[in-house]
Amino acid sequence: MKQTLATLPVLRAKLKEERSKLRCIMVCCGTGCRARGGMQVADAIRDELSAAGLAGSVPVELTRTGCHGWCEQGPIVTFEPEGVFYTQVKPEKAKEIVASFQSGEPVSKLLFRDTKTKRSIVTYHEIPFYSKQTRWAMRNVGRISPTEIGQYIARDGYKALEKVLSGMTPEDVISEVEKAGLRGRGGGGFDAGRKWRSCRKAKGDVKYLICNGDEGDPGAFMDRSIMEADPHGVLEGMIIAAYAIGAREGFIYVRQEYPLAVEHLGMAIASARENGLLGENILGTGFSFDIRIARGGGAFVCGESSALMRSIEGKPGEPRAKYVHATDRGLFDRPTVLNNVETFINVPLILDRGAAWFAALGTDGSKGTKAFSVVGKVNHNGLIEVPMGMSLKELIFDVAGGIPKGRTFKAVQTGGPSGGCLPEALLDLPVDFDSLTEAGSMMGSGGLIVMDDRNCMVDVARYFIHFLVEESCGKCVPCRDGLKQLLEILARITKGQGREDDLDKIDSLCFVLTEGSLCALGKSAANPVLSTVRHFREEYEQHIKDHFCRAGVCRDLCRYEITDACTGCTLCAKACPVECIAGDRKQVHVIDQSKCTRCGSCFDVCNFGAVEVRSAR
Amino acid sequence: MGAFGIDDILARHVGQEQSLIEILHDIQLRFRHLPQETLAEVAGHCGVPLSRVYSVATFYTAFSFTKKGDTVCRICMGTACHVKGAQLIREEAEKVLGIGAGRTTSDGKYSLEVVNCVGACAMAPVVIVNEAYHGKFKPVELKKLLGRGE
Amino acid sequence: MIRLTIDGRRVESRNGEYLLTLARRAGIEIPTLCHHEAVEPAGACRLCMVEITRPQWNGWSKLVTACLYPAEEGLIVKTSTERVLRTRREVLELLLARSPRAEAVRRLAAQYGILEPKYAVDQEGDNCILCDICTRVCATHVTGAISRVNRGVAKKVATPFDEASDVCVGCMACARSCPTDAIAFSQDGATRAIWGKTFEVVPCTVCGAPTVTREQARWMAQRKGVAEEDFYVCDVCKVAKTGLSCRKVMW
Repeated sequence: MKQTLATLPVLRAKLKEERSKLRCIMVCCGTGCRARGGMQVADAIRDELSAAGLAGSVPVELTRTGCHGWCEQGPIVTFEPEGVFYTQVKPEKAKEIVASFQSGEPVSKLLFRDTKTKRSIVTYHEIPFYSKQTRWAMRNVGRISPTEIGQYIARDGYKALEKVLSGMTPEDVISEVEKAGLRGRGGGGFDAGRKWRSCRKAKGDVKYLICNGDEGDPGAFMDRSIMEADPHGVLEGMIIAAYAIGAREGFIYVRQEYPLAVEHLGMAIASARENGLLGENILGTGFSFDIRIARGGGAFVCGESSALMRSIEGKPGEPRAKYVHATDRGLFDRPTVLNNVETFINVPLILDRGAAWFAALGTDGSKGTKAFSVVGKVNHNGLIEVPMGMSLKELIFDVAGGIPKGRTFKAVQTGGPSGGCLPEALLDLPVDFDSLTEAGSMMGSGGLIVMDDRNCMVDVARYFIHFLVEESCGKCVPCRDGLKQLLEILARITKGQGREDDLDKIDSLCFVLTEGSLCALGKSAANPVLSTVRHFREEYEQHIKDHFCRAGVCRDLCRYEITDACTGCTLCAKACPVECIAGDRKQVHVIDQSKCTRCGSCFDVCNFGAVEVRSAR
Repeated sequence: MGAFGIDDILARHVGQEQSLIEILHDIQLRFRHLPQETLAEVAGHCGVPLSRVYSVATFYTAFSFTKKGDTVCRICMGTACHVKGAQLIREEAEKVLGIGAGRTTSDGKYSLEVVNCVGACAMAPVVIVNEAYHGKFKPVELKKLLGRGE
Repeated sequence: MIRLTIDGRRVESRNGEYLLTLARRAGIEIPTLCHHEAVEPAGACRLCMVEITRPQWNGWSKLVTACLYPAEEGLIVKTSTERVLRTRREVLELLLARSPRAEAVRRLAAQYGILEPKYAVDQEGDNCILCDICTRVCATHVTGAISRVNRGVAKKVATPFDEASDVCVGCMACARSCPTDAIAFSQDGATRAIWGKTFEVVPCTVCGAPTVTREQARWMAQRKGVAEEDFYVCDVCKVAKTGLSCRKVMW
């Protein structure tokens, strides 16, 4: 039924009342949990519930939520409102879970076990990974079914839109967003309110609004989680923005690698239309705005706004010079505002709770919270949302649980292929837009990839340049031909064929990329190399001069040897994929160097530090 | 009436350049590749030269002119997967299937692809077989996963 | 009127003109390889980089491509600062490594003091530097027979599937506008071959000199709404006959 300004609050009150009496079993069915059988777990619990005579009988509900952002613990099952938190659930456990739901007795085997304290923890409120977070952008992530609009509305959904359309002028909305100090979460950190104002002022009747859901940075997945788990939050932010800038048509550009996000957004758009929240005459106010989904085609460069617009126009994703701003001439040459998923999901919060509330979170220059995808060599891989300004150290060691297997921290890579690697000495840096840029990296969309001493920094630089060579659109010379040259040099260094003047050539190539490239992809492409040369120069020199990769990654520059510390436990021999480790139980083992592929499996499994990385020479 | 069985796809999209990518997605999904002869029809429908369609079809990695295998094995090469050894999985996959990344086995059964991040970073390294995701993957598990055990 | 300075010289502009146009009008030389008056600028070759600043930027400046940056009131443009020259030299190094045999590239590189490329030379590198003039000319003024294909390092200019194009009219606009002579073609008497397709060049109905291909005449006749035969008269004979240049009808 189409809602109006008068009926929506009544509906919300009714839904709230109904849902407050409910007890829910929530099963995460995001991409990660699905991969580990989340849907089967949900089905098994549904069957158990009906067998126990509980299905459908109020007040019990089984909810399939979107991605929690802690996929490594999945499939995740939670009880609400209690907050009981079960990890790595298998369908066979459905009976025990339903029994625990009825009795209130937790199933201890399914609880999260804190590796530091060796304690099992019952509710997620007590797990550091969650308790140290401040989830505002991800307020509904894992708490609602993304395919049921009622659940969103009951959690104050579309309340901000209702407020905006009940008497705020577009000017009021823009001022509020400006006062909040909301900066774009996609990478550049441009002031969102200012962008909206420029577009509102731009000449022309037809204006467009675009949500960038391309999230191409490898290692970042907060936007996927938000689109999968809270699609209405994104829509509400967009509708408010459209009202502010005067757009009647909008697009959500989603990468094709995110099929579930496309599915959930599509369903959300349909139900928002049915409920009079999208389309003609929204909430009976005369304001009209509609949204279409545009699927990407597998091109990282389309995360760049001008390339993204070309892609929506049906063209190859080649960027344009931005000397004329998109707010004057963007999509189809009309004034356009483009923000990313996380930026839009903050908008309803700002309008609902007020600019002052939002501005109280974060730092002077970077307001609000930021979702980070903390992955790699940390104990708890997942999505972490904290107020801007938390230090890297706190994020990595306190919230994400530090480095596993007793290894040592080496670097954290932030900002994806446009960002850089920061060493231990910079771990006290507060994570906000400006501090990271000053340190030669950038916040980007919020991917933090943690690396330990088993990661080679030259290899990491080579990895990113290889990535960019594959993803460069090929339009301008520095990016197309410069990256190719840069990759050739880096690949040579990792193979032990580095030359004395390579670091100078790298410097020249980084210069021309930064100064000469057409778009942000090329301009920032040097960062992974510049930052590793700056902070880990000795590792480059060791590769070039000593032909040694101390991390044991570059195969031509290392070999593995077993020392006398070997206890003969045979673990390494079992782990070796080419079966080149020989030795009797309780005897020192030996690696057959002629067969060894230098994969490092033996090194990683050894509990006694008996495997060493040595120079290949 | 076109001869290539894409009339219904074209009918779903307005005949403008901006529909191009969506139409190509639908064709790729139906045929597991873009049959060469369909492109002229798409160009006619969208009112653009064939060269424009070809330009778009070759720019985006989602599209291919050679048919994908019955089973498509995708190795994620995102950063989180890379630092956790995705390269070793890729090498193992190339060995097990006997083809390089981006290729399809001659019997048309398997395609091997590498992708730059599927957003499942918290369970890195990740392998996707058709639509199913497999996290915290070890190279030794590949043979079994692809049903190519010895 | 917009007033700005380029290398200290005061220049004036009507709306919408690009810095490159203004500089050239003022007699200031800025090198380009992807610029062509017949098509919209692309900003692909990055050679026309200039440094811009304003008094209120407090010493901060940035590099922009002159071919795409529109004139702005009060702008201070410098076309040959050390930053500009270094960028230009590095771009030329890359172009020379890519297309070591392209005469236009070699000449320009030599002007900037580069005789031997410092980067690894692509021995198989052809003369195409992907300036995209040909594709822009073809798409804007002819039939769009060729386009940019693939992306990144694999990018090239080609007809669809590298096959003879149904719509190519053999007009040679692509080859003639190419700054590096990268487009292969042959002309043997009345037979012309380009992009894998062979054309017959129709002789002038008056003097017998080659005029245009039949396909081109047909395409132009249809577009202009005139008779195909009108194009089978060569320039010289047309001037002799009517006193008008047929260039106005054609290009």
